[in-house]
Amino acid sequence: MIAYTVRRFLQMFIVLFGLSLLIFIMLKMTPGDPAVIMAGLGATPETIQAIRDKLGLDRPLHEQYWRLISGLFNGQIRAVTYHTSVWGIIFERLPATVELGILALIIALLVSIPAGLLSAIYRNSPLDYGVTTVALLGISTPVFWTALMLMLILGVVLRILPISGRGETIGIWSFVTWDGLRHLIIPSLALSSVLMAMNARLTRASMLEVMRQEYIKTARAKGVREAMVIVKHAFRNAMAPVLTNVGLQISTIFAGAVLTETTTAWPGMGRLMIEAINRRDEAVVLGLALFLAITAQIGYLVVDLAYAWIDPRISYD
Amino acid sequence: MKKVGMLLVVVGVFGLFAYAQEPQYGGTLVIGSSQTFKDMDPRICNDVYSMYVINAIFDELLCLDPDTLKPAPYVAKSWEISEDGAEITFYLHEGIKFHNGEPLTAEDVAFTFNWIADPANASPNQTEFEWLQEVVVIDDYTVKFITKPDWAPYAPALLGENYAIVPKDTVLEMGDDEFNVNPVGSGPFKFVEWKRGDHITVVRNEDYWLTKPYLEKIIFRPIPNLATMMLELETGGIDIADNVPAQDAKRFMDNPDLGVVVQQIPSLSYFYLGFNMSKAPSNDIRFRKAVYMSFDATAAVDAVFQNLTGLRAYGAVPPALWANDREYLKTIAIQEDDEQAKALFEELKAEGVIPAGYKAVVYCPPDPRRIQISTVVATSLIENGVEAEVQPLEWGPYLDLLYRSEEKPEGEYDMYVIGWSGSPDPNAFLYYLFTSENATVGSANNFSFYMNERVDTLIKYAGTTLDPDIREPEYVAAQRIIFKDIVHIPLYHYIETRGVRARVHGYKVDPTASMPIVDPFTNVWVEQG
Repeated sequence: MIAYTVRRFLQMFIVLFGLSLLIFIMLKMTPGDPAVIMAGLGATPETIQAIRDKLGLDRPLHEQYWRLISGLFNGQIRAVTYHTSVWGIIFERLPATVELGILALIIALLVSIPAGLLSAIYRNSPLDYGVTTVALLGISTPVFWTALMLMLILGVVLRILPISGRGETIGIWSFVTWDGLRHLIIPSLALSSVLMAMNARLTRASMLEVMRQEYIKTARAKGVREAMVIVKHAFRNAMAPVLTNVGLQISTIFAGAVLTETTTAWPGMGRLMIEAINRRDEAVVLGLALFLAITAQIGYLVVDLAYAWIDPRISYD
Repeated sequence: MKKVGMLLVVVGVFGLFAYAQEPQYGGTLVIGSSQTFKDMDPRICNDVYSMYVINAIFDELLCLDPDTLKPAPYVAKSWEISEDGAEITFYLHEGIKFHNGEPLTAEDVAFTFNWIADPANASPNQTEFEWLQEVVVIDDYTVKFITKPDWAPYAPALLGENYAIVPKDTVLEMGDDEFNVNPVGSGPFKFVEWKRGDHITVVRNEDYWLTKPYLEKIIFRPIPNLATMMLELETGGIDIADNVPAQDAKRFMDNPDLGVVVQQIPSLSYFYLGFNMSKAPSNDIRFRKAVYMSFDATAAVDAVFQNLTGLRAYGAVPPALWANDREYLKTIAIQEDDEQAKALFEELKAEGVIPAGYKAVVYCPPDPRRIQISTVVATSLIENGVEAEVQPLEWGPYLDLLYRSEEKPEGEYDMYVIGWSGSPDPNAFLYYLFTSENATVGSANNFSFYMNERVDTLIKYAGTTLDPDIREPEYVAAQRIIFKDIVHIPLYHYIETRGVRARVHGYKVDPTASMPIVDPFTNVWVEQG
């Protein structure tokens, strides 16, 4: 297991290198001069050139790449349009996304797994139809629409929750304050709607697959109570694909909450990515992309290791 | 007895009313911004949204009289212009202190403006100071602006909100980056915190030299989604929204019980369709005329802005400014005439001016309203026999396209839709948009590359004096030539539309799109309780 973990970490560096090169090339191929965008409309050629000189944008591409990558690794590189280090601005926005993502995931799992389970157990019942219909709606409905509806109902009509923003914080966290927690609810519910829909459908499908297996029939034939059959035998095996999906969702949450964050004015990393792209702050875009890639790789590794814990037949040695 | 009772009731009601209208000290104002804030250093800030905050934290050398749009004293209590017009001497108020206790002196003024004007500092505001040779300290409270030999001095060039004064010693001690995120000004409010992406908080400067601000605190909140901003405005989550779409403006106006007052004023902006006059067919006035005739510009603007948030433009100088010549330019505006447009296009095709297989591309930025208007133009061209399409571009590639390249100095575009906003002086519009000096490959504001010696002479001459009686006829003459030449099809001036909760008093929407809370003319307060 340890050797496997070490191998995966080494693979991670190779993946990150390839990814950094790909993103750098894409940034350079994107039309538009970053110096012109930073200088703004009406800037003089001298001002634009001064920005190019400051950022080394006229240097050969390999020199620009090395400057960005080495600067990211030694933490020296500045987020020019944020007037701080790249990691500084990323870690400044990270807690907001972590709070949002974790609460959204918790809500999603608390709702989707029981829903998927019950849907599978009471297959073809009104409950099953209800769960699958709601799940389909959840997947199909754009998250920004869900967020707007939640804001309208909970914030405007019922006036029980604040509409947008992050609220009070203690240190870097807002969920530890009552005001912060209230602000967290609407964006978390919106983000969780997509997650719970997918997880519910997957749980249902996975449970149905597992409950058709021979060992389930054997357990029933041996007189094991139905509840024990489901919980002890079926559920644990059915969770493997769900776990994979949750692992994927963790990395998606970090990067993919852009629409939720923009609609609810949540100051997380999704919004930071959009801002950095619009400002053509290449160092922030690259740093954020690499950070998200590292998060995703670690997420997948944790999922793979968890597989081995769940299923004793799986071994990485 | 009954009459006395009635009288007492009436007096009581009036008394209550009078009490309710008395400005109150205290309270928090929450301002919603439709864009995220970028910079808190006025020397480099070039976005109007960050300026909302900068206006609260810093003081400016001059301010704008909201009624006349003329410069008014602020930190500078008076000024003198030399006979040859080459120098402006400003006399500063004494006793102004920065928030850290340091006195504001001429050194700080000189430092601020010399820094902006120095190309080595790469300030985006350096363009506004191309005319400035140097700022010189005469004594602690006297400072002199010296213009370059071939430029005219004029105070309106200093009126952009960017030109707030920074504390020299503090900036040098902190460094530019640190100062940008922890600004120290002399203004009515002190900086408290900047939670990036979420809010900026400022609190009353109890020692403010000009007046005691009524407000205790201001919170600035970036809310990029307009629908969310409107919900916050409706529920009182914010007190002022800096942008209200036409449909919401109508809703608030029709439903006063929502408690939102819509304030509007034509802004100092000008949006237009421009032609690339460096190449065919746009370099032929018949083509430009035919395009103009192909669609009803007034109807298009009215439809897109629902007769609420956009005003049809006939010239480049906004109607709020002198020398706009709107009434005359309206008479020479070309009306829709599809028959004549078709005939002109046929004539141009027969002569080869419009080559075979030609497709007109109308470029525009990613703004829904400009995309809609561009679509009207393209559709009209198609109906009149010219293939056309709309090409929205993100700002980066759009500016790259319009700035041209050394490899293709004639440009790779025909028509483009863009806007311009400037300081409250006609020169800020006409000089940058229409003079040959501003048609430079690699960086331009005159994207049409319009070169007309007569227009250059008129505009530059008007810039050599501060006397509006001399300047106005020059600008009027220049505009008449420009729009008879159909360099642009003038489209609209944006009507600045703000939503303000009824509890907010003393706030007045400003044509420069700034957010005046406390200045020599304003001291906003809020009802509390």
